[in-house]
Amino acid sequence: MLRKLTPYLFILPLMAFLAVFTYVPILQSVNLSFREWDFMSPTKLWVGLENYQLLLSSRDFWNAVKVTTIFAVISVPLRLALALAIASYLVRETIVSRLMRGALFLPSVTSTVSIAVVFSWVFSTDYGMINAGLAWLGFERVQWMQDPQLALYVIIFVNTWKQLGYDIIIYIAGLQAVPTELYDAASVDGGRRLHVFRRVTLPLVMPTTYFLLVVSVIDAFQVFTIVNVMTKGGPAGATDMIVNMLYRVGFTLFDIGQGSALAVILFVFLIALAVLKARVIGRKVHYEA
Amino acid sequence: MKPDLTSSRGMWVMNALVLAAGLMFLSPVLYSIWMSFQTADAYYAGHLDFTLSNYELAVAEYNFARYLLNSLIVSGVVTLAGIAVATMAAYAFARYRFPGGNLAFAAVVATLMIPSHITLIPNYLTLAKAGLLDSYAGLILPAISSGFAAFFLRQYIRGIPRALDEAAYMDGANAFQVLWRVIVPISKPAIFSMGLHLFISEWNNYIWPLVAIGKEDLYTLQVGLARLYRINPGEDVIDWPLVMAASTITILPVLLGFVLVERHLVRGITMGAVK
Amino acid sequence: MVAKLPKLTGLGLVALLGSTSMTLADVSVEFWHSFSKNAGEALDQIIDNFEAENPGITIDAQHIGNYNDIVAKLQASIPAGREPDAVIMEVTRYGLFADRGVLMDLTDYVENDPLKDDLFDFAREVGVFDGKNYIVPFNSSTPVLYYNKAILEQAGVPEEPKLETYADVLAVAQQVQAELGDEGISGIAAPGQFARWGLIMDNDSDMIDSVSGEILLDAPNTVEAYEWMASLVHEHGVASADGVTTENQGRDAFLAGKVGMMMNSTGNYGRSVAALGDDLVVAPMPCNKVCRVPIGGAGIGILSSAEDEVKDAAWKFISYAASAESNAIWFSTTGYMPINKHTAEQPLAAEALETKPGIRVAIDQLGFAKGRPRPPVVTWMRATEYDMWQAMALGQRDVTETLDDFAARTRAEAERLAK
Repeated sequence: MLRKLTPYLFILPLMAFLAVFTYVPILQSVNLSFREWDFMSPTKLWVGLENYQLLLSSRDFWNAVKVTTIFAVISVPLRLALALAIASYLVRETIVSRLMRGALFLPSVTSTVSIAVVFSWVFSTDYGMINAGLAWLGFERVQWMQDPQLALYVIIFVNTWKQLGYDIIIYIAGLQAVPTELYDAASVDGGRRLHVFRRVTLPLVMPTTYFLLVVSVIDAFQVFTIVNVMTKGGPAGATDMIVNMLYRVGFTLFDIGQGSALAVILFVFLIALAVLKARVIGRKVHYEA
Repeated sequence: MKPDLTSSRGMWVMNALVLAAGLMFLSPVLYSIWMSFQTADAYYAGHLDFTLSNYELAVAEYNFARYLLNSLIVSGVVTLAGIAVATMAAYAFARYRFPGGNLAFAAVVATLMIPSHITLIPNYLTLAKAGLLDSYAGLILPAISSGFAAFFLRQYIRGIPRALDEAAYMDGANAFQVLWRVIVPISKPAIFSMGLHLFISEWNNYIWPLVAIGKEDLYTLQVGLARLYRINPGEDVIDWPLVMAASTITILPVLLGFVLVERHLVRGITMGAVK
Repeated sequence: MVAKLPKLTGLGLVALLGSTSMTLADVSVEFWHSFSKNAGEALDQIIDNFEAENPGITIDAQHIGNYNDIVAKLQASIPAGREPDAVIMEVTRYGLFADRGVLMDLTDYVENDPLKDDLFDFAREVGVFDGKNYIVPFNSSTPVLYYNKAILEQAGVPEEPKLETYADVLAVAQQVQAELGDEGISGIAAPGQFARWGLIMDNDSDMIDSVSGEILLDAPNTVEAYEWMASLVHEHGVASADGVTTENQGRDAFLAGKVGMMMNSTGNYGRSVAALGDDLVVAPMPCNKVCRVPIGGAGIGILSSAEDEVKDAAWKFISYAASAESNAIWFSTTGYMPINKHTAEQPLAAEALETKPGIRVAIDQLGFAKGRPRPPVVTWMRATEYDMWQAMALGQRDVTETLDDFAARTRAEAERLAK
């Protein structure tokens, strides 16, 4: 009898924590998304789909979707391409390459708030590193974070700077799993470097690429800290990504209904993405051991 | 002409270039550390100086020693508790077939796709009701369950030959003893990697402490730093050297640890991804 | 007698235990406020004096941030029951909290306190919502136009320039920008929200009609005012975008001597004199169509959730903080206006009036100062206005279109709040 209970006892703490802090809250979010509440009224008025209607007809929501999409569309391929290129160079086990990997990897484990603060200085109009460089070269100062045309790219830059090392490490692991004979065979075939890269390396790191694709897309839909510290979603909503909007609606405007509706929409979207990923990867990836 | 990488000179030049690129890449952080040792006056006037006064100010005036302690306590407890909880579950998932087991495992894996932000408002309300906002418990409890750690350790434990378990059972060990005496010692590298992962993600956690903590005394470093920079207590021109000293305090533990444990970190990350 | 969470000292593991009830002989009033620097010091002094006169009462004063931070933190504290006992609330944004029963009705306290006859009428009016008294003013202000005499002189602007209309202000800003822009000096700081509200009033309009409560964000004169304000940044380039994205940066740049003019609360007077000395000149706000300025600032309210004893203690403090003695300390240090009829009789205040001519300008403006309405929707409207302003000032959105949209949303929100 006890023997039968054993596995349940082992998983109980984890499942209990997940239930209290993840599963039940998701249901609570769904419930709250049909209500109107501001933390103060004693009642949580049932309003049906009103919060969803308001969101879907609001400019802010579509702006956040747009900003987040632009972020993803630019930052994901940028991260993957740079990471693969650098990883193929750093895959060799030399001292320099190890040092370099360390340097590139460091930001991904460093505090995002610190990075955001440091880059706020780097891009600040009056005292920043970049503008000092531009001034030294004789160019005008640029208002990086005050210009709606530029601010999102600054955020993308900082996020890429932070995450690149992670992608590189994953790619290196993927590359190291490729049997060297395959390279040798390709070289014997008279393959040139680019050719080898396209015909051998690229297909073989496909599983890694898919993995990183999913990770970085999910990341893109969760960016908050950099935005919160550097721009607060501004200027004029130019960096108001979805999670920033969630925080703003929930914890500065205290529209709990709309905040929850936004959370539910984000949840549904990410689940859809997960299902899609399972299908795509299920079909295409058969290299895995 | 391509540079001849085989000649020692070409190699040397290439290596120097690569290292220079590495330094360049890290220059904002390196410069921020350097700046934290400048006086504000010297910094704005553009000449050099060396001082520890920014650190003194950050600790004496802005309570950063306290924030450091808070971060250490919270991240430390989350790591230990998180590892214990995840290891037990991982062991059950790896070694037992039981009704509902697959479903439970799927539910755990599903959390990897769910950003914590979705649970922000309900968790806030739950902890508000429990009276746990503004407490260490309020920071720690929601962070303990890591689906990723459970998933990762389960994969690792599956790779351990069952014969070892069975030998222990023959010696009369019970399931918990097998976990503690056989599985845990063998899984040490994986557990260590996951521990680092948990510690670093909790150390860097921002949005939850931001909403859950209102008392200045209980700020973590992340919230303290963001507040020092954003809300700017003096409300005058930003004192960048002071902010950079606070930032350096915030990244230092990870920075120092990084040199020692980079290999484990990398292993944790790559094993999760590639396996 | 209050058992708030114990103050954490040493190893904070105490917090894990949650709140422990302690029986104290003293009453402690947790008080959230928004004052730092010299204003913070003046407040500390008032609190010290109060505590000396009232043994047994401790004021646990906590600097939370600016008015927006206080509103956000107060609202977030409610589900957790971690509200303070007393709080500083900006004069247009307490209506929401009064409406929801979070703030207690102070009418009885006010009626039974001699203070009620000592307060200026404008100061009395500021705390009244729906016919009941919810806050007692502590700091009152109007916007004024500050300028840096040295910068204007350097740019060749004649002494005591005429700054009565939008066009006058723009002309001076343009001259400064043209002459000194290359040296990194800009004409004017982008107006903050309080100044924006003032400029709308100057143009014979308002955000919300103070009598009928009608939302006037899309009224022609409001649109015209925003068009002019936005043009300072994106069309004429006489105001830096820094001050649009971070309001305080405009002020900080002015204090640092990098901006010619700034429209801002009189509450900044003390700080501005300290930064700029004799170069600082205070002029009245422009009167583009009419002369009218909003009354700003904040008052102290008491939370309904506080225990009765604490409420009584908090009222004592509120009454003391609005007394002539306290108000004189406050007014002479900060530049916020007197709210008590007897403040000017205090030596400290008399001296300040003599030596700090800038304050006089603010007081003179009271002749055409106007209280603003404070229905619950104002909190939402002001929180949202920042984004609208950024979009307009940075040239991202057409002003008319933005304000039509903003007005429609504000009306919808007002309706939702009334449910």
